[in-house]
Amino acid sequence: MKLTFPHMGNVYIAAKAFFEELGQEVIPPPRNSKKTLEIGTKYAQETICLPLKIMIGNFVESIERGADTILLTGSCGPCRFGYYSVLENNILKDMGYRVRFIVLDPIGEGVDKLKKNVYQLFNAQNIKDVLEAAKIGWQLIKKADYITDLSNRKRAYAINSYEVDLIMDNYFKEVEKTFGAKEMMELMDSTIDKLNRVKIKQNFSPIRIGLIGEIYTVIEPFVNLELERKLGHMGVLVEKSLTPTIWVEHHVKAFPFGSKLERLKHELAKPYLKTAVGGHGLETVGSAIYYAQKGFDGAIQLLPLNCMPEIVAKSILPNVSKDYSFPIMTLIIDEMTGEAGYMTRIEAFMDLIKRKRRTVANG
Amino acid sequence: MDKYYMGIDVGSVSTNIILMDEEKKVHYKKYFRTQGKPIEILKEGINNLVEEIGEVEILGVGATGSGRYLANIIVGADIVKNEITAHAVAGLNFNPHIRTIIEIGGQDSKIVIIRDGIVVDFAMNTVCAAGTGSFLDRQAARLGIDISDFGSLALKSKSPVRIAGRCAVFAESDMIHKQQLGHNQYDIAKGLCDALVRNYLSNVGKGKEILEPILFQGGVAANIGIKKAFEEALNMDVIVPDNYDVMGAIGAAILAQEEMKNKRKTNFRGFEILNMDYKVKGFECNGCSNKCEVVEIREKDKVLARYGDKCGKWSSLIGDNSIKLA
Amino acid sequence: MSIKVGIPRGMFYFDYYFLWKNFFNNLGVDVITSPKTNKDILNKGVELCVDEACLPIKIYHGHVDYLKDKVDYIFIPKMTSIHKKEYCCPKHIGLPDMIKNNIRNLPPLIDTEINLKKSHKNIKSSVFHIGKHFKKNSKTIAEAFQKAYRQYQEYIEMTTSKIIPIDINTKYKELSYITNVKKENYGRRIMVLGHSYNIYDYYINMDLISKLNKRRFDVVTAEMVKENRSREYAARLPKRMFWTHGQRIVGSAFALIEEKSISGIVYVSAFGCGLDSVLIDLIERKAKENRIPFTLLTLDEQTGEAGINTRVEAFIDMLEWRNRDEIDLSTHG
Repeated sequence: MKLTFPHMGNVYIAAKAFFEELGQEVIPPPRNSKKTLEIGTKYAQETICLPLKIMIGNFVESIERGADTILLTGSCGPCRFGYYSVLENNILKDMGYRVRFIVLDPIGEGVDKLKKNVYQLFNAQNIKDVLEAAKIGWQLIKKADYITDLSNRKRAYAINSYEVDLIMDNYFKEVEKTFGAKEMMELMDSTIDKLNRVKIKQNFSPIRIGLIGEIYTVIEPFVNLELERKLGHMGVLVEKSLTPTIWVEHHVKAFPFGSKLERLKHELAKPYLKTAVGGHGLETVGSAIYYAQKGFDGAIQLLPLNCMPEIVAKSILPNVSKDYSFPIMTLIIDEMTGEAGYMTRIEAFMDLIKRKRRTVANG
Repeated sequence: MDKYYMGIDVGSVSTNIILMDEEKKVHYKKYFRTQGKPIEILKEGINNLVEEIGEVEILGVGATGSGRYLANIIVGADIVKNEITAHAVAGLNFNPHIRTIIEIGGQDSKIVIIRDGIVVDFAMNTVCAAGTGSFLDRQAARLGIDISDFGSLALKSKSPVRIAGRCAVFAESDMIHKQQLGHNQYDIAKGLCDALVRNYLSNVGKGKEILEPILFQGGVAANIGIKKAFEEALNMDVIVPDNYDVMGAIGAAILAQEEMKNKRKTNFRGFEILNMDYKVKGFECNGCSNKCEVVEIREKDKVLARYGDKCGKWSSLIGDNSIKLA
Repeated sequence: MSIKVGIPRGMFYFDYYFLWKNFFNNLGVDVITSPKTNKDILNKGVELCVDEACLPIKIYHGHVDYLKDKVDYIFIPKMTSIHKKEYCCPKHIGLPDMIKNNIRNLPPLIDTEINLKKSHKNIKSSVFHIGKHFKKNSKTIAEAFQKAYRQYQEYIEMTTSKIIPIDINTKYKELSYITNVKKENYGRRIMVLGHSYNIYDYYINMDLISKLNKRRFDVVTAEMVKENRSREYAARLPKRMFWTHGQRIVGSAFALIEEKSISGIVYVSAFGCGLDSVLIDLIERKAKENRIPFTLLTLDEQTGEAGINTRVEAFIDMLEWRNRDEIDLSTHG
């Protein structure tokens, strides 16, 4: 079994080390690129949402490198993601590829099926093996997220923010050369060390922006056109409402009750949106209020074109913005690679926030 | 007096008129800009025809294109057919073995899939203009290139730029951006050709089994840059017929010829239409909250047609219900 | 004067109007609906709703706006799930929330959640929640609903006994979604697929069904296929279809494709519809495998009727061309 999985931010870093550690042969897709997107738009149906297109590109690029098994998490509605595995399987069949899909559907779809898949993936004989493996995986995910967060923080405060990019680019390059959890942990530690040595500005209070919206576009830097980096270079401190860590805490660790943070966000959203609407629509509304209450300067909603839950959220955000006098901008993410219009919007939004800060300070 | 079938294709950008003999040979073809005044252009077109080859006997008339019903009212047609069928008929007449027709016109683009001489599938562009001729026209103007040189310029490109082309608005802003980055005209022209083809294949052509022989027709087929881009993207040969720009009109004429086999007299209203004075009047109906904009075409005191009403209150007033414009 | 409840003529109206209207009437409440979709309603909806939403959601905003000054309550249930283990579209679920955030000066909404995901019995509590606005006695409410439900089942019976839902106007005037449809049997039929609110709102689809009837085709829709049959066919999908509308649309299409009782399929979809992007792909594949012609009409507020006519006419030409050729072949062979 030569295992691959779609890109989703830094998840591949943890997943690669984790499955290698368990004795699986892992072929992660090359980092997302224009070519990935081009393959996806060529073969996926035009009207489907962006994440599926990128995933098709990932799979094709991995299959070309020798992968024969695709790992995907599942869901069962109401967002389209739940049907991705069927559509993707069809598209790959059309292209003449024969691959196996392992879909980890939620427990409600059958405990035995999930158990069988997990045991096979984890090379586990019993529940103890599974838990043991999960512990390593969890460590890796947390650390990978920690590095992403740290780099974002450092970029905002750095005297030379591009120094952070150099360290991160080098880290991504080295990731491909490591094997197993131990080597990955070492690489991560040395990267953290390097990041901590970046010289930072003193007495500087950066603008704080919450990134909210659909999880894939929030987590995956290629898809959101490296928004974290762009904002970081403008001296903006970015916090993401969703990270793999947050997701695992909510859906796996605290199952079936959900994590404290997410439950808080659901409560906050209630006056505007009574129930979940699939995807992360409810979380988007809740996160906007959460950041407003935490004293952030503003939030940016990322909405992949035609994303159903985020369209519901977008209808509601103007009222949140008004009630909390909290600037929120929606960026619609499509497959356009042209960055000009995108940058204009981001810069204008930052100007607005800076002006607001000044009036508050003076007023 | 020579005898011909007339084919008329009234599109939103261009109006084409052709004359064809019994052997389906084209003797006259003319291309006009519709310029939003189809009636005048139709009259001008007929006038042009009379001036060039004198009065001839018209055996039958076929009308197609988005303005086909209007052409029928003004000229009098024996058959009124949609442009997809007309294009397929003309393509099959050019080469009976054809299996794919790519048609790109000013405002829309189509694909027609043919197997064993029968249309088995087709598609038209949906809401986007990024895969059409007017998009290319506009971008050529922006680049300061004459549209007729566009294709040959693109062929000179050595490293085409990538222009995101899913939507005309995005593609345009992306192209301007690339221009500002200092890319040369050749590479941008080629990039636009590639973007149009990519957009066509992933929108109109998505999921269609494109097999040779492939016919490329419509106004944009004049652009050798696009033809080349199709051949590269499909890795197949693409044929552009001689009359690529009037295939719709040819198809309409062929359909008229077929129709006349079972008919004695053509509906053609004669060349006198040149001297007729058509009055077009638009008014808003206040009958219900739809507030339809009703258009009325009059010839002297006679109402030739009324259309635009959803309920049929006005269009049905003039006896002949079949004249209903979209 | 009795209390007036407004039911906007959009979205789930086309599925459940009959059930709701009778329920309210049985409780002694008057029901007022907005008129059939027209230009004013469309324009108002486009103005009020976020640009990214699909056409039927925008139009629904227009219908709500029309009713807001004319009634005591507006009924916009939160349709989370209408079947065990299944869901509705995220935009259906968020509909009352979108409306509240997009339209000012609304009368009180009855936005009770309908969520049958865990159990069909959950309908009871929803019914009480709705009924409580008007009657205190829970027995009265339950009876009013049961009676309405029986009437609704009669209606479902009729639609599945080969009467187009829109044809029922002779019996139930208020259900005359399209009035100018002749009931005639042409011996050949086209399946018109899509969400009920797209195929029965003739302003949205530019009276597609009449266009097909004029060209002498009978029309069959997903609602006319019995539910258990649709479900049986939908169960053949490699993964459980978790949208109830998906079950109905895909299942009915698969059933009629496999029994080869239709000449072709016209799918009516609103631009940007998330469910359709999945369903269309599944159905188009199946149709292709079985050589049933398929065409897609995508609609948004800018769609012109000319383009729709061209597509429909070309599709029918294609069907007739094929048909003629098959007859030719058989006479030669």
